[in-house]
Amino acid sequence: MDASALSNPQLQQMINQEKERAMATEMIAKLTSACWDKCITGTPGSKFSSSESSCLSNCAQRYMDMSIMIVKRFQSMH
Amino acid sequence: MDSFSSPSSSSPSSQMSTEDFMDQLKVQLAQAYAEEFLETVRGKCFDKCITKPGSSLSGGESSCISRCVDRYIEATGIISRALFNSQR
Repeated sequence: MDASALSNPQLQQMINQEKERAMATEMIAKLTSACWDKCITGTPGSKFSSSESSCLSNCAQRYMDMSIMIVKRFQSMH
Repeated sequence: MDSFSSPSSSSPSSQMSTEDFMDQLKVQLAQAYAEEFLETVRGKCFDKCITKPGSSLSGGESSCISRCVDRYIEATGIISRALFNSQR
């Protein structure tokens, strides 16, 4: 395969899809790690308690809210 | 990278098809994602379950590890649903 194959539209499309998937995967992995540390304070049980699962879900959604706030804060600075 | 090179080394000019390349790329990406996930789970469950390393893994530690792995996978699902399927 030579370098010109990289301009193949089929390959380009796949690369773009994979880029998006990588970004989503990275985001999920990062948030799972951070929210696990915040929400799962004891030893993992055989089932999440309802407070643990709602904490995880809230954690992810509040992170998104925060991201939006931070962007707005920076936008209002200039 | 080795697995990206053409399998027929006798004819170096023979080109790997785009389809083959894409298939190999997908396999390698899946492997990379799996390895990274595994490494994260190792770290998290080591922190949670092996609090005082003894001379061997105790029964309690082993069952903690199994539960920890299951819960981490479940947590990943909860987080992705919260991010991508939230009706807000």
